[in-house]
Amino acid sequence: MNVSLTILEIAVILLGLTILLVDLWLPTQYRRLLGYTAAAGVVAILIGSFWMPVGEAEFAFGRMYIFDPLALYFKRFFLLAAAIVLVLTVDFSERLPSGISEYYALSLFALSGMMFAASANDFILVFVALELITITFYILTSFQRNRLTSLEAGIKYLILGALATGFTVYGIALIFGTANATSFSVIASKTADLAGNPLFLLGTLLVLVGVGFKIAAFPFQMWAPDVYQGAPAPTAAFLAVGSKAAGMVLLLRILFGVIPQITINWTALLMAVSGLTILYGNLCAIPQRSLKRLLGYSSIAHAGYMLLGIIAVNQAGSTAVLFYLVGYLFTVLAAFGVICVVMRITDSDDLSAFAGLHSRSPLLAAALGFSMVSLAGIPPLAGFFGKFLLLRALLEQGTASHYWLALVALIGVAMSLYYYLGIVRTVYWTKAQSNDPIITVAGPIRCVLYGCIAAMLYLGIFPNMIVNAAVRASLAFQL
Amino acid sequence: MIQDVLFYLFAFMTLLSAVLVVANPVSRNPVTSAMFLVLTILFMAGLFVQLHAFFLAAVQILVYAGAVIVLFLFVIMLLDLKEEQSRRIGKLGSVLGLVSVGVVFVLFNRALSGLPAKVPGATGQPSLEGLTAPLGHALFKQYLLPFEILSVLLLVAMVGVILLSKKDLR
Repeated sequence: MNVSLTILEIAVILLGLTILLVDLWLPTQYRRLLGYTAAAGVVAILIGSFWMPVGEAEFAFGRMYIFDPLALYFKRFFLLAAAIVLVLTVDFSERLPSGISEYYALSLFALSGMMFAASANDFILVFVALELITITFYILTSFQRNRLTSLEAGIKYLILGALATGFTVYGIALIFGTANATSFSVIASKTADLAGNPLFLLGTLLVLVGVGFKIAAFPFQMWAPDVYQGAPAPTAAFLAVGSKAAGMVLLLRILFGVIPQITINWTALLMAVSGLTILYGNLCAIPQRSLKRLLGYSSIAHAGYMLLGIIAVNQAGSTAVLFYLVGYLFTVLAAFGVICVVMRITDSDDLSAFAGLHSRSPLLAAALGFSMVSLAGIPPLAGFFGKFLLLRALLEQGTASHYWLALVALIGVAMSLYYYLGIVRTVYWTKAQSNDPIITVAGPIRCVLYGCIAAMLYLGIFPNMIVNAAVRASLAFQL
Repeated sequence: MIQDVLFYLFAFMTLLSAVLVVANPVSRNPVTSAMFLVLTILFMAGLFVQLHAFFLAAVQILVYAGAVIVLFLFVIMLLDLKEEQSRRIGKLGSVLGLVSVGVVFVLFNRALSGLPAKVPGATGQPSLEGLTAPLGHALFKQYLLPFEILSVLLLVAMVGVILLSKKDLR
C-alpha cells in the first residue's frame, strides 16, 4: 500500500485541519497572522520534501498513485506557489469580510488537491483531485461576498466548471468502457489496440475538454477573464499559477505518458487550439483597463505558449513546459503581489490606479515592471528563456506546420509587447495624481517581491539548475 | 427476450421523461419539470438493475429521486419562478441546441459504427457484481485513496457552504 509516499499531501491536509481548529481558540485580532503560520508550515513541508528519496517511479494504493521525479517537481512547485499566495493573503485579508482562517485552510486543501493531481496515475484519482481543486476554488472565488463582482465570478466559475466536469466524467466513462480500466499504466499498455477505437478517442477528447478548461485553452477559456477580475487577488494568483499547473501536469501525464501515439496523430488539432489560444488571449488583452482582467487574458495566451511544448511531443517539449511554469510562477505572483498591495490602498485594479507607481513605491513599480517584461518575454528574464526553450522544442520537429505555428507564437509575442510595455509606461512615465499616498509595503510582502524579482533574473541568466531538474522530471516519459 | 423488452422500455421512458423535463409542451411549471426528473431517475434505476448494479439502483432512487429532488423542490418553491413560466425558449437557442445535439449524435454514431460488435477485453461478466459487499471491498481496497480524498472534499464543501451562507459578516 505504501502510504508513506503520500506523506507530503498528508502533512498539507493536517496543516489545513490544524488551522481550522486553532481558529476556534484564537482571539480575532491574531487570526490574520495565522497566514504566516500556514506559509511557514508549507515552507517547512517544502524543505522536508528534499529528504524524500526519489529515483525510479514508485507506486502506492495499487497503481493509483505514482511518485516519480515529475510528481515531486510539481509538488514542490505547488508548495512554493501556495507559500507565496498565503503571504499575499495576509496582506489582502483586511478586505475579506469574514472567515480569514477558513480562507487559509481552504487554500491548503486546494494545494493538497493539486499535489494529488501531480501524482495521479488513474483517471479516478484525476477526477477526484480535479474536483477537490475546482470546488475549493468556487468558494475561494466568491469569498468577498460583500462585493457583487466576486459573487458573479464565483457563479460563472461554478456553472462553467460544472459543465467541464460533466465532460470529464463522460470522457472517463467512455475510456473505462473501451479500455476496461482506468489505470494509466494499464491503458498505456493497451494504446496500440485502442488508438483505432473511435469511442476511446472520443472519451479522451472529452477528458481533454475538462483539462483544457483548467488551463483555459481556447474554446474553453470563457471563464478566465471574468473570474480573474472578480476573484480576490490572492485567489486569482493561485488560480493562475496552481490551477493552471495542475492542468498542465495532467495534460503531460495523459498526452505524453498514456497516449503518446494518439497525441502525435492529433498534432493538427492541438496546433489549432494552441495557435487560437495565443491569438485570442493576446488580442483580447490589448484593450483591457483592469489589470486583473488583463492578466486573465494574458494567462490564456500563456496556456497557448505552453501547449507549444506539448505539440512538440518530445522530452525537450516537456522540459520546456516545466521550466516555463516555474518562470511563470514568479512572474505572475509578483504581479498579483503588487495588485494586492495597491488594491488595499486604492480599492481598484484599474490601470489608472497604477499611474506613477514609481514615485509612490519604487519596489512595487520595479516588481510590476520586471514581471511585465518577463511575461512579454524580453531577455534576460525568466519568461524569455522559457519561450526560447518552448520554440526550440517545437522547431526540433521541423515540419512546415511547426514553423508556421512558431510564427503565430512570435506574432502573439509581438502583440503582447504592446500591452505589457503599456503597463510599464503607466507605472514609470505617467504622472500620479497628487493626492495618491505613498504606499508602504509590509515586510513579508517586501521579501516575497524581492525574492520574485531575484528569481526572475536568476532563471533568465542561470537557468541551468531548474532546466536540469526539469530534464530529470521529463525522463518519466518514454517518447 | 424479456430482458430486451425491458431495456427498450426503460431506455425509451428515460429519454421521453428527460425530454419532458426541458421541453414540456403542456406545462411550463418548474415543479412539473422536477417531477419528470424523478421519473427519468426512476427509469434509469431500472437500467441499473438490468446491469446487475442493484446497490447503485437503490442509491439512485434513495439519494437522487429522494433527497436531491426534495432539495430541488425546496429551491423552486422558495424562489418565485413566475417569470420562468412565462419565458419562451428563443428561436436561436433552440436551433443552436438542436444543432449541437445533432453534432454529438453524429459523432457518437460515427464512433460506434466503426466498432466491432463486442468491445475487445470485455468479458461479458461485470468485474464487480453490484451488491454492497464487493462494492465496499473495492471502495476500501482498490479505491481507498480517492475515497479518503473525497472526505477532504466534503469538508471543503461544508466549510464553504457555511461561509457563503452565514448571515452576519464578521
